[in-house]
Amino acid sequence: MTLLDHIGGMRPDNVALVGGWGRQDYGDLAARAGALRERLSPTGLRVFLNLSDLSEALVALAALDGIVDAVVLSSPSLDEATLCTLAGVSADAIITDRTDLHGSDLPVLRDPAELAGLRSAPETCSTRWIMTTSGTTGRPKLVEHSLESLSRTTRKDRARGTGQVWGLLYDYTRFAGLQVVLQSLLSGARLVVPEADSPLDDRLALLSAEGCTHLSATPTLWRKILMSRAVDGLALRQVTLGGEIADDAVLRALARSFPEARISHIFASTEAGVGFSVTDGKAGFPESYLTDPPQGISLKVEDGRLFVHNDRVGPAYVGGGDIACDGWVDTGDLVARRGGRIVFLGRGSGVINVGGDKVVPEEVETVLLTHPEVHMARVYAKTNPIMGALVAADVHPEPGSDPTQLRASLRDWCAARLDRHKVPAVFRMVDQFRTNAAGKIERSN
Amino acid sequence: MSDASNIEQSIRALFAEVYGTQNAGAPAPELKDETVLLETGLDSLGFAILVTRLEEELDYDPFSLSTEAYYPRTFREFVDFYVANQPA
Repeated sequence: MTLLDHIGGMRPDNVALVGGWGRQDYGDLAARAGALRERLSPTGLRVFLNLSDLSEALVALAALDGIVDAVVLSSPSLDEATLCTLAGVSADAIITDRTDLHGSDLPVLRDPAELAGLRSAPETCSTRWIMTTSGTTGRPKLVEHSLESLSRTTRKDRARGTGQVWGLLYDYTRFAGLQVVLQSLLSGARLVVPEADSPLDDRLALLSAEGCTHLSATPTLWRKILMSRAVDGLALRQVTLGGEIADDAVLRALARSFPEARISHIFASTEAGVGFSVTDGKAGFPESYLTDPPQGISLKVEDGRLFVHNDRVGPAYVGGGDIACDGWVDTGDLVARRGGRIVFLGRGSGVINVGGDKVVPEEVETVLLTHPEVHMARVYAKTNPIMGALVAADVHPEPGSDPTQLRASLRDWCAARLDRHKVPAVFRMVDQFRTNAAGKIERSN
Repeated sequence: MSDASNIEQSIRALFAEVYGTQNAGAPAPELKDETVLLETGLDSLGFAILVTRLEEELDYDPFSLSTEAYYPRTFREFVDFYVANQPA
């Protein structure tokens, strides 16, 4: 089934979307997408979508799914250069509502109907849905999915979906956001979309006013929601956490604030496709998942890293690079067994996740080492109950430095050279570092 | 056990300091009992840094010691949370 088949199968007068543009019912969406599709014919084109308006994007997606070779979903927040590079390796045309795209060799279209004027070999095809990764340590990568692979754990029970109101607090082009959009649309629910750049309290007020029952957010955002006044207006039946490690404290606090809600934390990544959800209210997941795959998804732990088996995701990134080996995707997450559970420890790459913003330790170390009073430095994650982690630094000062003055000086030094979330919150002065055989500072704590 | 007024003093002092470093030296707003901390102009990152600095100063993190499932919202709740969850 294509996306249009799904949307067209819902009761036409049920509201599908609520946002800054007003209300759109399923009938409107299906009619707009159907009209656009009529102007196009099946084509082998690969189409790069970069649209800030979710309603426009859904019309384009529903029209194109099933008649083009590929749609690439990309964030409106991408800078021009990155967008042009990504589109260059993945697409034949760009559809966008932004006006700053001048550096692309591809046709840039405002109206998806203009695709009809582009030449390509006609093909009957099932459309590939291509997602972008977050691009922590460089350019985002492109991962091939399909509507089927993206929605395989989506509940499509319309009898239940019709009474549900989902809230969207994520970028819809990212994996977690698209999961919310598809879950809502494919079950005939209503999706409330607050303006992404408005203050959290305003976004929550809209969700409350619209009777939001189902909401997904990162643990960091949930903590912020729990500390805001607006939480009192929410009457949730489903609370979902994803994107960062969910700790016991946030899971318990959510259970207390939303006693009626089912609380699930999801493990998923763009590369692995949707993984699995855990609903027992505890951090990590039961060790039994390793032998009894949750939702049919096989897991294994090797050298302390979690691997997920997924045969529906393309084996390589679009544009090059392996994703999976024999179907096993290395999640890059370090895990450990603790009391019958597998718990997440952090990223194998050492990358620090500060409330969703990623920090590469080496970048911070490089800045510290340029300070005249720093002899050696090591940067690592320090667990934090509010943001999941903060950046911490061990510093071996040059002889004769005053620790208190040096701390203040290092804070200013880093603040002048790094984004706020990359500035170490803690500086520890140490006399020496353990080094490995190659003379590098050991990274393990 | 530290007494409540010492803990409150440490929190006020570090709040002012962290607020200044996170807001380009701006003076911190007055903290009343009912002040909602995330409405003071200190964002979640600032709040997280405050908690970490308090852990260095007081030598404990009430969030990891507490068995309550709770995130304090107002200044008074925050102080009470630190007082109630001191290590035994």
